[in-house]
Amino acid sequence: MGQFGRYYFNWDILRDTLPELLKAVVVVVELLVFGLFFAFILGLLISLMRISRVRIIRWLAAIYVDFFRGLPLLLLLTFIYYGLALVGLQTGLRFLILPPIPAAVVALSLCYAAYSAEIFRAGIESIHRGQMEAARSLGMTYGQAMRFVILPQAIKIVIPPLTNELIAMIKDTALASVITTPEILFRAREIMGVRANPTPLTAAAIIYLVFTIPLIRVAARLEKKKGSPGTPAGM
Amino acid sequence: MRRVMIQLEQVHKHFGQLKVLNGIDLEVTKGEVIVIIGPSGSGKSTMLRCVNGLEPIQKGRIIIEGDDITDPKTDQNKIRQRIGMVFQSFNLFPHRTVLDNVTLAPIKVQGKKKAEAKQIGEELLVRVGLADKAKDYPDQLSGGQQQRVAIARALAMQPDMMLFDEVTSALDPELVAEVLNVMKDLALGGMTMLVVTHEMGFAREVGTRLMFMDEGVIVEEGDPRKMIADPQEERTKKFLGMVL
Ligand SMILES: Nc1ncnc2c1ncn2[C@@H]1O[C@H](COP(=O)(O)OP(=O)(O)OP(=O)(O)O)[C@@H](O)[C@H]1O
Ligand SMILES: [Mg+2]
Repeated sequence: MGQFGRYYFNWDILRDTLPELLKAVVVVVELLVFGLFFAFILGLLISLMRISRVRIIRWLAAIYVDFFRGLPLLLLLTFIYYGLALVGLQTGLRFLILPPIPAAVVALSLCYAAYSAEIFRAGIESIHRGQMEAARSLGMTYGQAMRFVILPQAIKIVIPPLTNELIAMIKDTALASVITTPEILFRAREIMGVRANPTPLTAAAIIYLVFTIPLIRVAARLEKKKGSPGTPAGM
Repeated sequence: MRRVMIQLEQVHKHFGQLKVLNGIDLEVTKGEVIVIIGPSGSGKSTMLRCVNGLEPIQKGRIIIEGDDITDPKTDQNKIRQRIGMVFQSFNLFPHRTVLDNVTLAPIKVQGKKKAEAKQIGEELLVRVGLADKAKDYPDQLSGGQQQRVAIARALAMQPDMMLFDEVTSALDPELVAEVLNVMKDLALGGMTMLVVTHEMGFAREVGTRLMFMDEGVIVEEGDPRKMIADPQEERTKKFLGMVL
């Protein structure tokens, strides 16, 4: 190891850094919980709009999806944190000034809603149309048929791709460091500056991998055994 | 008393350029069992789907027990509750048990109590001979069993009439009889039925009227036994010659 170990695996620094970064994990979890919650709600709504019979509604949903899939998340973060605040300060519209964590949640939600919408739409469309017809022929409204027949089946299909979304989002929370969110990468860089040693980055990498690798394994297994859409749980 | 259940007046239906129904007139009274035959693509399925509003029509009127379903003011969901439909591909809900398939709509649509719906559902499963399958999932059943569940599911809404679209066509030959027997029981019990099928035995035994459709019109109709034995129209003769 020698020189390499001194710089990248400095045991003393690693020991000091890990507890600090574990505090930052709480921030990341916060970003993920709120980010995923809003992304899934908004994504589901947009996916339903995307398959609406009303053309305008379909268009609005398509525009949303293309817009947010086409934008770098880093730009979105910067705009929501700095871009809005700048105008907020100059005009006195204080609601435009968001603290880092809410700003990061908004950016992640908007962006990931677009991805989730496409996943939900693919899931819904993969359900045989006979299911909707059978439900409607029993007198269910479109909403009831979606809620009790289509979505419960679609959920099973979208779990593997949504797991991949979760993995991507965990990694993307690191982008929030550019807007001073005290998440893992941000804290690691701070400590790196103070100690003049890159070992905190190693510590950050270890923490990310501890979260992502098990999820990557889970996603791979889910994808492999993705049975027929109708296979009930536990079979 | 003669009660009109289904009334079609000059119904026209097209998909884009493709004309599928070209002026269908039909009147079905309570307790009638109408058997509909015709070549592939003649519009049989489309007609059934129009009757319960799954497909909108472009011209004409469809009146279900006095309610015009083509009137925008009519609540189609309400009308559909009175019309049971059974499909060629069963379309059971694969994520629900057999009993849940049968009780779902009564609970969610009619607002029945769970216990009451369960009791009705279990009775219906007895009626179609599947009491022991209540807790199974659809993919654990044979095609014939699945189709009988689908019939029970439609009956659970206590419909006034039933539509059957080639419900035995996807079944292995040895499973056809068990489904037809359930349908015969229903017919003998006085259910109003519109049945698209090529099972001529069924038409002869319980059909009250036979209808031959071709190119979106009703070419010939009459008493099933008479019509099968002695069809009048050339096209009917040709078609019957092929299926018999
Ligand atoms: N949703 C649809 N969009 C476009 N064309 C359709 C649609 N549904 C049916 N058709 C067409 O309408 C015509 C009539 O179809 P329909 O299913 O009613 O025939 P059918 O008499 O039931 O035939 P089969 O015996 O094969 O079931 C066919 O040419 C079919 O391709
Ligand atoms: Mg058909």
